Amino acid sequence: MTERTLVILLLATAVTACGGGSGTSTSGRSAATSESGSTSRLVVGYDREPDTLNRFSTHILEDIETCVVEGLVTTDQAMDIVPLLAASVPTLENGGVVLRKDGGMDVTWTLRPDVAWHDGTPHTSADVKFTVEAINSPAYNPESTDGFDRISSVDTPDPLTAVLHYKEIYAPYALQFVRGTLPKHVLEGRDIDSANDYNRAPLGTGPYRVAEWKSGEYIRLEAVPNYWRGAGLPAIKTLLFKFIANTNTRINQLKSGEVDMVVMFPWDKQREVAAIPGVTVHSINGNGYEHVTLNQRAMPAFADVRVRRALTHAVDRALISTTILEGLAPVTHGPVQPVSWAHNPNVAQYPFNPTRAAALLDEAGWRDSNGDGVRDKAGQRLSFTLITQAGFAVRENVAQVLQGQFKDVGVEAFVQLHDGTSISKLWFEGKFQAMLHWWQLPADPELTLFFAKDRMPPRGRNINYVSDDALTALVYAADRAVSRTERARILGEAQMRIAELAIEIPLYGVTKLDAVPARLKGFTGNPTNTGPFWNVHAWTLE
Amino acid sequence: MGLAARRTAEAVPLLLLVSGIAFALLQFVPGGPIEVYLSNPGVRPEDLERLRRALGLDRPLWEQYVSWLVAFVRGDWGFSFSDGRPVFDRIAERLPASIELLGASLALALAAGIPAGIVAAVTHRSMLDRSISAVAAAGVSIPTFWLGLMLQLTFAIGFGWLPSSGRAADSEGLARLQYLAMPATVLAFAHAAAWSRYLRASLIGVLRAPFVAAARARGVGPRARLTRHVLPNALAPVASVVLLDAALLVPGAVVTESVFAWPGVGSLFIEALGRRDYTVLMAMLMVSSVAVVSFNLLADVLHAWLDPRVAS
Repeated sequence: MTERTLVILLLATAVTACGGGSGTSTSGRSAATSESGSTSRLVVGYDREPDTLNRFSTHILEDIETCVVEGLVTTDQAMDIVPLLAASVPTLENGGVVLRKDGGMDVTWTLRPDVAWHDGTPHTSADVKFTVEAINSPAYNPESTDGFDRISSVDTPDPLTAVLHYKEIYAPYALQFVRGTLPKHVLEGRDIDSANDYNRAPLGTGPYRVAEWKSGEYIRLEAVPNYWRGAGLPAIKTLLFKFIANTNTRINQLKSGEVDMVVMFPWDKQREVAAIPGVTVHSINGNGYEHVTLNQRAMPAFADVRVRRALTHAVDRALISTTILEGLAPVTHGPVQPVSWAHNPNVAQYPFNPTRAAALLDEAGWRDSNGDGVRDKAGQRLSFTLITQAGFAVRENVAQVLQGQFKDVGVEAFVQLHDGTSISKLWFEGKFQAMLHWWQLPADPELTLFFAKDRMPPRGRNINYVSDDALTALVYAADRAVSRTERARILGEAQMRIAELAIEIPLYGVTKLDAVPARLKGFTGNPTNTGPFWNVHAWTLE
Repeated sequence: MGLAARRTAEAVPLLLLVSGIAFALLQFVPGGPIEVYLSNPGVRPEDLERLRRALGLDRPLWEQYVSWLVAFVRGDWGFSFSDGRPVFDRIAERLPASIELLGASLALALAAGIPAGIVAAVTHRSMLDRSISAVAAAGVSIPTFWLGLMLQLTFAIGFGWLPSSGRAADSEGLARLQYLAMPATVLAFAHAAAWSRYLRASLIGVLRAPFVAAARARGVGPRARLTRHVLPNALAPVASVVLLDAALLVPGAVVTESVFAWPGVGSLFIEALGRRDYTVLMAMLMVSSVAVVSFNLLADVLHAWLDPRVAS
């Protein structure tokens, strides 16, 4: 009997395997999910469980936190920095930013009145001051102290005004409090690293509060009764984030209706997800870009600009974009994407041209002297290892195409896959020759970390090991430009220089795909790491 | 009892050795708890240095190991590098789910594997035996993740009878069993298949033994021969295999838990490995080692009890 059951079971699975994919019946959507179709509850399939909900401590995306803890500003769907708990974004023009003669600057934040923490305590400038002091205190270990460590002191002339005194110019000052503030009345005098009451259920001012965190399973957020934006908001009363690490399982739950929404799913699942009834695939161009980093230190051949230009000419990016990426991701020509105010569209481009690539390599002295199909020079073969992160089907395919296209111009590349943490270690120590990966830039692009000559590891992320005086001068000048127009102009010039030197091979912009219920209104997505929940208070389910 | 005491004493140096090897191996895995922070460009080298000091990773390796060992033996398992909570709590909160899955799959595997093995052995070389063998071969060779996903497609998405994954610990009775059904079946399938093969081989061997022929000559009927003479002798080695397999389930059914989003220790292990959460990983490796050692011991004791020849 047992064996017969098993045989039937096997047959059943085989049948579904063959007929699967398109055969998603609607009957499944009602099964085992009495909550499906609810207008007051949204179930999100989430790929990982957060480490902590303290926005300053976590090292993963803050999608869940955004619904609870609000920043003084946020970045919207157009990547503009917009005020949230602040009344406005301070700028030079509106007098919110004042450059001091001693080389420092003062930034004045005016807070929105009538905002209270969820426990009823008013949100004030004292919280802003406390946040700066807590982060700069050696007793607390946040993920990053970037920017905060340049603030010498904070004045709070009244409960709604905080004046930050910076020791030096800090151009991305507007994003200083994008992660919000820490509640002084809860955390003052405490060891924040181990304040698990706060870290697991932070007190915020946002539309939701953490109602339950079941380890390994889910985090449940419930709407707060008196959200400052007004009565009735948010419309969706419960947000349930279910942790489903396995991508196939996450999408199966979407098919069965057990989850309503999956954010940032992989591109190779696009067709499968788009075919699910009642689910809309929302796509937005992000501020990240996939590229090949050419490590000039580990692979001296890359130090020759002709070799780098040749490799860029050798890659048919349009083909990759239209085939493997199914047109989902646009070809890009540099580190700053069109969605950014700092984007410069007029940079040098290296269209697909194998003949030109071959000529450049010949000119650089790399010729196939022994007829083995691989170019060589002074006994060295033009051969390198291209590392990339395992587990991304699309990326693994792209790596193979690159390998083939390099081979067509007589360059040998071996593809090597590593897990996420291992590859971080490799690049951070510069122990690789070429790497296929992406950088996700914040809404205010800081290129210094990636391209300044004194920012090679361990001092930064210049893992191309490019050492160019002109470029270094430009990126540092941009860091000191507080005016948006001036900053955009200098960053534009820096992008020209990066393209001229063909420092890395830019491939395509990173498009973010979110699967949302068709009946969800108000969803816009977000190009930055702020994530798609940035305007969750305005969402409704029909 | 002498056997048990002796084996327990032997286990101490073994576990010590395992802890040393595990600690060294974790150091050899490229990347550490600090590298996970690198995905954020705002995390600068000075931040990494600060975090390294905060986690005590700037100390010499031997010092890290000795201080971990001393604390661990005293029952202080330390704090998770990932979320800062006590390691003991993180593992303990996952145990109920693991034990539930482990218990259900063991029961299912025994219920399916033992009868299948007996039927196959008794009907040796018949069509029935061959069919059972075919299914068993499938059970041993089908990848768990594939079977899991196929079951989801069939029963959750196709028929809509069962929830595709998750545990829903707050639901009750039948609903709870619905969540358990597929992961337990997947896990049980491979074990039932393997165990039925062991039992079949063991039974066929015993059926050919002279004492079975002697019993038959004495006029003992087929049923009595099987239950009184054959099974006790054939089950002893299978019992050992079952217990050893059960011990290996303790570290968590890593793949099954991942496919079914089951919140047991297996998924915690994967998460901890990805984040290089050394303290959680070390504690889990030690708990698993203790489980393997004690189930081994239990298997030996049971084997000795079932078959007195082993003890002497």
